[in-house]
Amino acid sequence: MDLLLSPEDRAFRDEVRAFLADNVTPDMRRAIDLTTGFIVEPDVLIAFHRALDRKGWAVPHWPVEHGGAGWSLVKRYIFDLECGRAGAVAYNTSGSHFVGPVIIHYGTPAQKAQYLPRIRSGEDYWAQGYSEPGSGSDLASLKTRADSDGDSYVINGQKIWTTMAHRANRIFALVRTSSAGKRQDGITFLLIDMDTPGVSVRPIIGTGGDHEFNEVFFSDARVPKANRIGEENRGWEVAKYLLEFERGGRVLAGQVRALFVKLVRLVAARCPHDTDIGARLAAIGTDLDAMEMIDLSVLSTLQAGGNPGPISSLLKLRWSEIRQAIAELAVDAAGSEALRWRTERPFYETLQLPPEEEEIAAAAPRYLNSRAFSIMGGTSEVQTNILAKTWVGL
Amino acid sequence: MDLRYETEHVLLRDSAEKLLHERYDYRTFQNIAASEAGFSRELWEEFARLGWLGLPFAVEDGGAGGGAVELAILMEAFGRHLVIAPYLASVVLGGGLIAALGSPAERRALLAPLIEGRALLAFAHEDNAAPARAQRTRDGYLLQGTKQTVLGGAMADTLLVSARLDGDNTGIFLVPRETRGLTLRPYRLLDGSRAADLELTGAALPGSALLGGNEDAGGAVAAVRERAIAALSADAVGAIAAMVKATVDYAKTRVQFGQPIGNFQALQHRMVRMKIAEEEARAAALLATLSLEGAPQMRARAVHGAKAKIGRCARHVHQEAIQLHGAIGTTGELSLGGYARRLVAYELLFGATRAHLARYGEIIADPQAAADGLLLAPEV
Repeated sequence: MDLLLSPEDRAFRDEVRAFLADNVTPDMRRAIDLTTGFIVEPDVLIAFHRALDRKGWAVPHWPVEHGGAGWSLVKRYIFDLECGRAGAVAYNTSGSHFVGPVIIHYGTPAQKAQYLPRIRSGEDYWAQGYSEPGSGSDLASLKTRADSDGDSYVINGQKIWTTMAHRANRIFALVRTSSAGKRQDGITFLLIDMDTPGVSVRPIIGTGGDHEFNEVFFSDARVPKANRIGEENRGWEVAKYLLEFERGGRVLAGQVRALFVKLVRLVAARCPHDTDIGARLAAIGTDLDAMEMIDLSVLSTLQAGGNPGPISSLLKLRWSEIRQAIAELAVDAAGSEALRWRTERPFYETLQLPPEEEEIAAAAPRYLNSRAFSIMGGTSEVQTNILAKTWVGL
Repeated sequence: MDLRYETEHVLLRDSAEKLLHERYDYRTFQNIAASEAGFSRELWEEFARLGWLGLPFAVEDGGAGGGAVELAILMEAFGRHLVIAPYLASVVLGGGLIAALGSPAERRALLAPLIEGRALLAFAHEDNAAPARAQRTRDGYLLQGTKQTVLGGAMADTLLVSARLDGDNTGIFLVPRETRGLTLRPYRLLDGSRAADLELTGAALPGSALLGGNEDAGGAVAAVRERAIAALSADAVGAIAAMVKATVDYAKTRVQFGQPIGNFQALQHRMVRMKIAEEEARAAALLATLSLEGAPQMRARAVHGAKAKIGRCARHVHQEAIQLHGAIGTTGELSLGGYARRLVAYELLFGATRAHLARYGEIIADPQAAADGLLLAPEV
């Protein structure tokens, strides 16, 4: 039992560091640093993603035959941590981390050949069509209809909170193919091209001033049945498989630690002698260390072929809280200077400020956006219900 | 990197659980806490027979050659069962200092009786009021000053007293309890264990009393204290886990409004939060334990961070456990009261939660330190 980095992993870390030093440009880093929402604009990341692809690292967690890197989980952790340290984030996790693994697990050979290379190369940008106006936490109540018509489904209905739908060229969606029996048993998982006639997008601007969420409307949109993943009416099982990846399966420590380091710098610049802020900063640091340690324990269990169980809900719950605490403390550290509001986005194109003031300008929008962390991907309350039942045994 | 217990770890954990389950219940705890001696000689001898008193010492010193992980496993079991024994005081602190600083002859003379359960040690270090000084004499040293909160001080056969030498250097002095000029004022701590304040009024010691002849023991003292904090943190995790389990078990059986109170969502969510606190405390304690073999800064970050984090978790859990038990939780009728006292003591021992948080804050104020992940990569 130890926390030691093996010589092999250490060499790998150095290789990752060298790659990142060559490929994370100052412009890209600044654009990521000044992103106030959850997702960095695709334009900012595509060149980096292509460099990763050339290196064979675009989708390292996929099976090798689909372009994965065949890394151990420790290597994946090191990679995520180093990317975070270098200020880099993933290009499109909806593709590489959500629908990609689903296609690998449930897709037909034709679907794999059609979609996987385009996720790997960055050609396709995916959105996730799950929530509906009447179906949030109670997702199984979804109503968007897919009526069978020959070789196609005809889709009618509406999705909402669809992150980056305005940038995506494809969307994976849960649709209702049957109203008989259990609600979960009438749902189907479909892959839909965004340029399908009858598909339209309306922006939703968040309280933080950013455009990331959208409504997506389907009006007699015709989708080939060949785009169905798994069997008709078995989409709930597919969705649950995907949720495992959304709630865990990825080491967030690197990314959150990078946000924490920015906060450390902000506090040092703004209020280094404020003991209240200092104590809160330190407390967040200890939370982060504990969660990273839990991440590592999960990884250790998975690496040995074990099942970490319902812990993915704990990771989702606590990581979102820690990210919120970081965003919250940044506003408190910035103080009254965070009052000044700027409507133009993205900041990396519109702001012309000295670097230390840029971080302050981003504080309030980032804080407001961060409130969504504990809602998206399963609310904290839903995660707590799951943990009560499956983990605490209540 | 591997965070899974190895086979011998599981064996140690299971044998500790078995013995304590059979031999040590809440009544045992109450009897020992109320006793004059403040510990059970019989139980201590059992620990010796099981090899626990030699657990962290090198095989050539007569020990089992265990490391921080083995120590943490045993300490967690002690915390889970509310064990009151001078283990931290005598084995971890006293024995730890002798193992770190002692000459082969000193290790032979002092560790063997400790490991066999024949003699007890204590470490007298904290001295905010009147720092202890050692003045060199013609044939030895003269010790002067006071020491506070010496864990297991009154039951120890030999006290290891830290004292300033000339300048800023620190030495550790072996002071037999019957030494003239040494006064011990024993008292109970809130967790039922014993400590003493100590006064040195011109205690004359031979030159050989300076442990290992070492006039610069500051680094060893810091390392032994870090090891002790990591071990005590594992103890706190055991107590936290016991309180969480007791609360969940109680909520499943306590019926009000016609159903077990564990059915109510408001209470379920609070118990989930308690369990998360347990999980995070366990992670922090393990981080501290495994970081002890890292570079000084990684060690300090992990140990101060763990004390701060677990202190917070401990307070959350003991308060919630009492609240969810209702009125009975506020009494000493259930073991719950014993655990609450142990966890409050945890927060206050070796510097309070706030002090450790502040120290951790100083370390991570350096963005480079804050950016470091948890894996240890000793420079090769």
